[in-house]
Amino acid sequence: MRKIVPIFFLIPLFALSQSTSFEFHSPENIKKFADNLFCEGDYLRAIEQFELINEKLDDDTVKFKIMLGYSELGFFSESNEIFKGINDKSIFYPDAYLLSFKNQLISEPGLISASSINSFNSLQLKSFNKLNAISMLYGDEFNISRENFISPFDGDEQNSISTFYNYKVEPPYKSPALAGTLSAIIPGSGKIYVGEWGDGITSLLATGLLAFLAYDNFRADHTTRAWIFTGLGAFFYAGNIYGSIASAQIFNARIDFEFNNGLKLFLKEQNYFLPEYDFCN
Amino acid sequence: MISVIKIFFAFLFIWIGTVTLVAQNPFEDQFNYARQLYDEEKYFDAVTEFKRLLFFYEGDNYNYKSNLLIGLSYKEGAKFSEAIQHLTLAELNSKNIDEVFIARLEIIKVNILRRTTGRALTLLDSLQNDLKFTGKSDEINYWRGWAYIFSDDWENASSSFSAIQANHQLAVFCDSLDKDLYSVQLAKILSIVPGAGQFYTDEYVSGIISIGWNVLWGYLTINAFMEDRVFDGLMVGTLLWWRFYSGNLQNAEKFAIEKNLEKTNASLRYLQYYYFGNKP
Repeated sequence: MRKIVPIFFLIPLFALSQSTSFEFHSPENIKKFADNLFCEGDYLRAIEQFELINEKLDDDTVKFKIMLGYSELGFFSESNEIFKGINDKSIFYPDAYLLSFKNQLISEPGLISASSINSFNSLQLKSFNKLNAISMLYGDEFNISRENFISPFDGDEQNSISTFYNYKVEPPYKSPALAGTLSAIIPGSGKIYVGEWGDGITSLLATGLLAFLAYDNFRADHTTRAWIFTGLGAFFYAGNIYGSIASAQIFNARIDFEFNNGLKLFLKEQNYFLPEYDFCN
Repeated sequence: MISVIKIFFAFLFIWIGTVTLVAQNPFEDQFNYARQLYDEEKYFDAVTEFKRLLFFYEGDNYNYKSNLLIGLSYKEGAKFSEAIQHLTLAELNSKNIDEVFIARLEIIKVNILRRTTGRALTLLDSLQNDLKFTGKSDEINYWRGWAYIFSDDWENASSSFSAIQANHQLAVFCDSLDKDLYSVQLAKILSIVPGAGQFYTDEYVSGIISIGWNVLWGYLTINAFMEDRVFDGLMVGTLLWWRFYSGNLQNAEKFAIEKNLEKTNASLRYLQYYYFGNKP
């Protein structure tokens, strides 16, 4: 009886302690939870949880997920900081390398001087060459033949890439100096040169009318009114020259904006030529 | 001997009972911890801990409460889409009519805050038409009033609050503001007489300037026609007088809209800081 009593007491204690303890914060459970958050798209929390176990586990999958999460959140420099900690022997290194290229292209658009790495497979090498070509579009100097430029891209992509190539080689800019000169000779013609037909014709009519009114009033000896119309006419004339120059500059800024925006949209549609990483299925 | 065994089992029963009581359920602990974070207004961490609980707990005991509090935490962080997503999950996991009502009201409040007031009003209509919530008409009217406030419809807001109580504090407030607002249409009509619209909106300097310009260009136009200088008259009339006259009409309308906006914003600020009743 004496031997049985402690056993009776210990069994329920043991059973209860088993059923009531759960390690929410064990590294394994944190990783499971972080993976779930990552798959939900709650990257900020997922990164926070991954960071808790990153040093303990020293797992390249975790590091790559943190890098990917930061990139998805738009924290590109943080993402590239994580890349520095990924071992170049890791299976994820080539993908991380490409992702860091993408991050740099978004955060600091410009020519990126990066070289290919041996661990790239054929698809990754293709993506790298495409991103490399795209980075040239952001550079100041651009002297590459069309054939060489579009060669890394696939059939469907080549049409879009050709358009960007044309924009880069011969941007359809309008000369502000020419617009101003044209408007000085014939009021409104600078605006018409920029493509603003309505404004051009209105400027021509308004300046012409005011000039006529000034002339007519001088002829009829209404000098006060004549000077008012002369002043207004001169104001319209000068304003029209200034407006034509400004319109050409705005036109050129729009061309740059459309080029950059179009390229950004195209790259986004193509996911920057990177594969979709599926850690959730 | 029998009595010893009886005493032993009695002890055993009491001991197990005590152990069961003392031993905390870790999921309950986790919920309480998350709840504590929520109460301490640490909303980001609260969401993390509620999500952790929901991820590991296999039952559905915490689905309603946790999703509701996640939704409310997101709401506090102005993450309205995420808030609605979790409040909807809370509604789906509700176990009784009261829980459904609470979750749906929270969804309505988030819609009010993010100014999708059309959606808020539709949800309020669905609550009102649902026979299960017939006893909740005061609450429904109260939040309908707030939805109208955020849609800048102070007259309907006042009617909704009045449906709860004739002299409801918010009904009186909305009424007084509604009366205080300028009529944009009237400002435009009054501006047929140059400057009158500006005077109506208390913009006296602008009104006087408007009168001045219109008198000057009107005089020059009429004078030109009277002296048979038809071309001059047409030019001054169309290029100058008409320009200033139409500017005067637009100006009065703009003043009325701007001043109304100032008044409504001031009222919303007042409600935010000095109204202590329930707010979205």
